Amino acid sequence: MIIKFKLDGKEVSVDAEPNELLLNVLRDKLGVKAPKYSCGIGECGACTVLLDGEPVLSCLTLAVDANGKEVITAAGIEEEYAALISKAFSEEGAVQCGYCSPGFAVMSYLLLREKKNLSEEKVREFLRGNLCRCTGYVNIIKAVLKASEVMGGK
Amino acid sequence: MLNIAERYSFIGKDIPRRDADSKVRGLLEFSTDISVPGMYYGRIVYSPHPFADIEEIDTREAESMGAVVITPKDVPSKPFNIRLVSVNEVTFKDWNILTFSPRYLGDPVAAVAAPSEELAQKAAESIKFKFRKVYDPILDAFESMGSQSAPIREKILKGEEEIPVRRNVGAELNYLEGDLEKGKREADVVIERAFKTNRRYHFQLEPKTSLCVPEHDGRFSIYTTTQTIHNTRILIGQVFGIPLSKISVKRIPIGGSFGSSIQTNLVTLISVALCMKAKKPVKISLTREEDMYDHADYEMHLKLRVGARRSGELTFGELVNIMDIGAHQVQAYPLLGTALGWFVSLYKWKNIKYEGKAVYTNKTPSCAFRGYGAPQISWAVESIMDELAEELGMDPLDLKLKNYVGLGDVFWGQGPTVRSVIRSDGVKELVEKGKQLIGWDRRKPPSMKQGRYRTGIGFGRSFHTSGAGGPISGEVIDYTGATLKLNEDGTLDYITALQDHGGGTLEAHAKIIAEELGVPPHLINIVPSDTSVTPYDVCTHASRGTYVGGEAAQIVKSKVFEAATRILPKAVNPEAFKLVYDETLEQAVVYVEGMKDMRITLSEIARTSWQRNWGTIAATVSYRATSAPPTFTVFFVEVEVDTYTGNVKPKRVVAGADLGTVINPKLAEGQLHGGFVMGWSMAYLEDTIYDRRTGELLNKGMVVDYKIPTSQDSPKLEDFKVIFANTYEPTGPYGAKGLGEAALNPVAGAVANAIYNAVGVRFYTLPITPERILEAISGGGKQ
Repeated sequence: MIIKFKLDGKEVSVDAEPNELLLNVLRDKLGVKAPKYSCGIGECGACTVLLDGEPVLSCLTLAVDANGKEVITAAGIEEEYAALISKAFSEEGAVQCGYCSPGFAVMSYLLLREKKNLSEEKVREFLRGNLCRCTGYVNIIKAVLKASEVMGGK
Repeated sequence: MLNIAERYSFIGKDIPRRDADSKVRGLLEFSTDISVPGMYYGRIVYSPHPFADIEEIDTREAESMGAVVITPKDVPSKPFNIRLVSVNEVTFKDWNILTFSPRYLGDPVAAVAAPSEELAQKAAESIKFKFRKVYDPILDAFESMGSQSAPIREKILKGEEEIPVRRNVGAELNYLEGDLEKGKREADVVIERAFKTNRRYHFQLEPKTSLCVPEHDGRFSIYTTTQTIHNTRILIGQVFGIPLSKISVKRIPIGGSFGSSIQTNLVTLISVALCMKAKKPVKISLTREEDMYDHADYEMHLKLRVGARRSGELTFGELVNIMDIGAHQVQAYPLLGTALGWFVSLYKWKNIKYEGKAVYTNKTPSCAFRGYGAPQISWAVESIMDELAEELGMDPLDLKLKNYVGLGDVFWGQGPTVRSVIRSDGVKELVEKGKQLIGWDRRKPPSMKQGRYRTGIGFGRSFHTSGAGGPISGEVIDYTGATLKLNEDGTLDYITALQDHGGGTLEAHAKIIAEELGVPPHLINIVPSDTSVTPYDVCTHASRGTYVGGEAAQIVKSKVFEAATRILPKAVNPEAFKLVYDETLEQAVVYVEGMKDMRITLSEIARTSWQRNWGTIAATVSYRATSAPPTFTVFFVEVEVDTYTGNVKPKRVVAGADLGTVINPKLAEGQLHGGFVMGWSMAYLEDTIYDRRTGELLNKGMVVDYKIPTSQDSPKLEDFKVIFANTYEPTGPYGAKGLGEAALNPVAGAVANAIYNAVGVRFYTLPITPERILEAISGGGKQ
């Protein structure tokens, strides 16, 4: 069936099977590679996108569920936030291999948009569904806190 | 002495990595992200039995669906080894692309390709087998060596020579040094313990992938998950008989590896075989479950016996290392040597005996995992050294400092054939600083701990080699190469096959070149490369902080000076020139000291060389390090054990590293953070457990049942301290050493010692799970 939704700010329409996963439709049919396949069973968070502002694991979400809604991937985060997150992650050494980074970026965006003056505890709790095998999370947490400070200073 | 950041323009300063922005925005393409028009999807068919001989494979249904199918009959049958780092004479070969004799559940027996992934999957599922014989799986190394066990392999190749396999022992290595009996006689205290390590899964976030594209001119382009594009090309060439000039393996960013792609992945070879038959581009991406059946760490059964005099002087060390290597050899033989190397390089045992065996079982083949045996050996040795200290009534720090292999001693970088003399050693400095930061002197014995929550402090030390180079050519191939060219505007293109796993290796290269030539790192293009345009590079492994970029930069610099003498004719000696980065001009300036008019910018030299037809200033080098110096690391860890549940939390960590000059402090700290969390996970969480009856993984490859730490499982930011020793490695680039693996190696030992200090029980099996802790506490004794 043909489904329509807003993807990273643009209206798209695509032919999707009823059993097709959002992750596969985004990656294979719409060419958006920011959400990554890693575990395929909702354990690692690498495929995280926002669906009408709520974080979902696109490997567990049917593409048809996106019909008429808005999908935001790491590639479509509002520029103000994207630049802020990118700068903080880069400066704090929060990026190593980078395969988990788009998932963390989406979650960080959501967190920064909703809350200012974040505590370390809150950041840790919010990001617990995203796995990273390189950084030990320390610099990712530092980066989100730094971005939050910059936001708070505005 | 000036500190590093003052001495250099770029080295020692935090410069954000160039790929961070595209990674965070999800724009950087990994192998899994690459596709081409008209591409077929490949799927691999695995045997339903872990140990069987196949009579016949029925592919008719798959073919009638329109799928391209390959079976062992369609691929070359000569065995090979998927890893090419050892020289041929000591390379043990037992691999085929597809096999009629599956020896573990992930052994590929057939493969299909079809225009859609769905069709490929259906075709794969339609393939049927007739078995000649199905055996009970052998899942234990000791059972495997027993006289009752069926032979998993009967013959393999060593180099080009066929050798028999006896009692499922794939490789052996024994070693003797000094007089063991004398060492035993001299010992006042002898301790013997048996340790067993866990069979961890790398869980790199990107599952393995390969895309093989047939080009119109008869070449093949390959986009695949690998730490070594050149060895991948050579192996494809050897296996399929394709000239290397017809194969281009692209260097594609890798979504984590930790050793899992040191070898050429089987998925790569299968994609090539399918591509050759289908005459179409073929891409295979492993599912997470398939990936988990593809590779794992080595499980080591270590029997350690050590002795010391009352004074704390060690008199002997004896190690029996039985490794369960799974169904194939990747680097079992070299690892037997390396494990010995780590053992003898930790402490001065003086009299040494080592017996190593690599044993086949019907499990997923073991391959290198960050640290290459050093995390396992260090855990066992650091545990037994603590026990020895207790027995001798000494502080473990004193015992370890008294006996460790340090400055001026010989370090075995990668087993018996790779040795070098230690020229920088910051161990004492790190121990002294770490001791203060953790509050070591306030540490109490376990007998004084009470209540539900008990804290304990533990210490562990280790190291890792920086590369596998050495003064002589041993059994390990270790050299790399690069091309550096000065562009017409004074910027640089740097072309190398070296892979960056994410640790920032290539960023470090760029910084070294920047320092050498005064060109800021952001104006140095790290060129996307492939095998066709790069000199050979063995593999990004063994934490090689190589000097190849610096070597190329020095040659380019001398050519720049020659060009400068042509522009400034009064300067007749190119050697008289100096080069410095001018912060106001934001570019390099070439000058003669004390001569005001003898000054010219690098960009002016580049432009003039172009305008006057002098040719391109460039250098291509092939570089081999002449030593493999150790990067020393220490960890002090404080844990809290909940004696009601057995849960353990890391409360405070002091991570110390002696990596010589710290080229990029932020990235180096990041290695230590990541190393700690991975080591914590090794000590406390991870294992792959097999169903004894079916030979399946109990979690069936599902990572919901393979827990690794989350963001909530590390100490608070303020309680995680990183310290660096103030050392300089004379054989390293700008005094630097590698760090990636050393950052992990001591952790499990430190954690195990901390748990002991909290609850008074020693554990000899990894991981030290809450269940094991509870059982031990209620049993009240040693585990």
